[in-house]
Amino acid sequence: MKDNAALYTFCAYIAGVFFLAWVANRLLRDRSFLSEYFLGSRGLGVWAFALTFAATSASGGSFTGFPSRVYAHGWVMALWIASYMVVPICMMGLLGKRLNQVARKTSAITVPDVLRDRFESAAFGLLATALLVFFLSFNLVAQFKAGSLILKTLLDGVTTFHTTAFALAGISGSFSWLEGVDPEYLLCLVTFGIVVVAYTTYGGFHAVVWTDVMQGIVMVFGVLVMLPLALYQVGGVEQATREMARMVPPQQGTVTVSLESAPGADYLIPAGTWMATAANGDNSGSDRIFRTNRTIVIAAGTARTAQVPVTEIRTPEEKERLGLQVDARLRLSNLELRPYAYGAETPGTYVSGPGPSRTSASGFLPLSLAFSFFFMWAIAGTGQPPNFVRLMAFRNARTLRRAIVTVAVYYSLIYFPLVIIFCCARILLPGMEGESDRIMPAMALHLTSSIGHGWLGGLLVAAPFAAVMSTVDSLLLMISSALVRDVYQRNVNRRAPEVRIRRLSYACTMAVGLGALIASVNPPPFLQDIIVYTGSGLAACFLGPTLYALYWPRANAAGCIAGMAAGFLAHLGSYAAGAFVHGSFFIPYRPLDLDPIILGLLASFATTPLVTLRTAPPPGKLVRRYFYRDS
Amino acid sequence: MHPDGQWDPVFLHGRREAAVIFVVWIVLLLWTVPYCYLFGYGDAIDPAALDTVLGVPSWIFWGVAAPWIAANLFTFWFCAHYMVDDDLGEEST
Repeated sequence: MKDNAALYTFCAYIAGVFFLAWVANRLLRDRSFLSEYFLGSRGLGVWAFALTFAATSASGGSFTGFPSRVYAHGWVMALWIASYMVVPICMMGLLGKRLNQVARKTSAITVPDVLRDRFESAAFGLLATALLVFFLSFNLVAQFKAGSLILKTLLDGVTTFHTTAFALAGISGSFSWLEGVDPEYLLCLVTFGIVVVAYTTYGGFHAVVWTDVMQGIVMVFGVLVMLPLALYQVGGVEQATREMARMVPPQQGTVTVSLESAPGADYLIPAGTWMATAANGDNSGSDRIFRTNRTIVIAAGTARTAQVPVTEIRTPEEKERLGLQVDARLRLSNLELRPYAYGAETPGTYVSGPGPSRTSASGFLPLSLAFSFFFMWAIAGTGQPPNFVRLMAFRNARTLRRAIVTVAVYYSLIYFPLVIIFCCARILLPGMEGESDRIMPAMALHLTSSIGHGWLGGLLVAAPFAAVMSTVDSLLLMISSALVRDVYQRNVNRRAPEVRIRRLSYACTMAVGLGALIASVNPPPFLQDIIVYTGSGLAACFLGPTLYALYWPRANAAGCIAGMAAGFLAHLGSYAAGAFVHGSFFIPYRPLDLDPIILGLLASFATTPLVTLRTAPPPGKLVRRYFYRDS
Repeated sequence: MHPDGQWDPVFLHGRREAAVIFVVWIVLLLWTVPYCYLFGYGDAIDPAALDTVLGVPSWIFWGVAAPWIAANLFTFWFCAHYMVDDDLGEEST
């Protein structure tokens, strides 16, 4: 980014977030603290409920990983995301009304609260709390890292940002535990962490909901601005599809880059520089076109680099067009390129299934995976406890009905247009397969630079940042509520005065947030894998027992505890077996090609009735209370 | 009438609505994935003579966009006419 537009947009956005937190904090003064701080006093209206639900579910992946995949695999991604056509009605309609009603019957504030009270089982409440804290803590660290990386991309090129990071490097260098940490990442992590922890701690649930609303608006605004700009620049959807039909996947690998003579000073070759060589590699022509995947430097006094990562364009029409942009001073040698495992040299792979794949000979989305994803988005999404909390917070059934429609329209405006936009990106920004995670900001800046509105580019790039922020604040509050409400108030000190609960809630939210911030300084790798593991694990543990608790009068504590434990163990077992079979915990073992989440859900759904029917029926007073009209 | 009294209408309505949603999910799954597989995978596509609808590959239009529109229409109908505005009760004290 050549100006500070992104920085100004970001600062305005943060100012808006803090204003909302301040207003939310004022609401805390006149209401029951715990119910207001963790649940917004069950008073969410249509827009607040719909947008907080949509924004929390969307997460950063919708604006980073998803566009990157559309770019890399083409139209088949519409099938990959197709289940979002039923996600709103599944996630909100399957459980919403009953969960909200059951929570009201006992004034439950948290998910473990609901499960504990439904069966009057402290053990069930504690098991649910332990599993929530376990999964959400891992997820929180991964999301902190994701948020920091997105912020780093957002501020890339802003002079103030780079100079501040440079200054921070001087300070952090004196701490051994910060050794090797990228100062720009560290600056983004500290900024992101402090902002999220501060507004969540100060404002509680309402701050989270209102910032979600703002973030939800930023997201849909970003998509709706990008769509016509992308279509205009490409010449329409038809033109984009026709060009994609002619494309063949690139090759990726490494080359040595050299100059004719050694430069007197370091010679910088920015990421995205086009280079060419002849088919036989003798530099006498431009039959083969390459793009650098990252910025490289030819050091002063040397004429060549080590092997550097590049992407080679293989589509003839694109080669012809891009051949005009090559840097003719650069010479290439030691070409080591690998073709795609599926789709190499085959026109049409970007407009057909299963889509090109660099690593899998079966393609990106074989039939079994297409079924799995349709299952996962809708059904696994329904089992996410952060969504349960929102379902406990809406005002009445009318609000729920209207919010489902609102979220259905919202997702339709986001996901299908994102597929079209990033199919267009394949034509407007070719060769970015090697850094496709940057395609969202790159596309936003490309589209807006042509109309001369840098601030708009900043706002569009803020969309993924908003998405990850809205996920993090919800996780933070859920962990904090689990510790304060489910562990302390309900098991340690039932008569704790409100002032102590208030202080403990603030302290706990801040401590959890700062703990996640510190853990994220050196986060574990496998960011996306951790998010998948925790999301699928939560669904495997919570969906079955919650559905039985709400809709089966015969369900009892023993059965639901067994079902939750079985879901957890089957899911964990699949990953643990993967560690033995494949040598990595994050490559799960899939018997009969079944995903760990399906194994976990099968185990949970089967175990609960088996154990329930072999143990005593629930007390009649509980059945009357939750399944019969109030007398 | 059951000796314990009448079933809670929120429970009955919620269960019935959940069953309908589940059936619709199955129908859309069986429309979307098999249609796309039959008409959009592998040899089913000739890139030189690709069928499109409004610029979108036809297998995506009929396999994803059309059921997506149908799902939204169903959602509007379900929320406007089928889902019951039950009284969810007051907060317990």
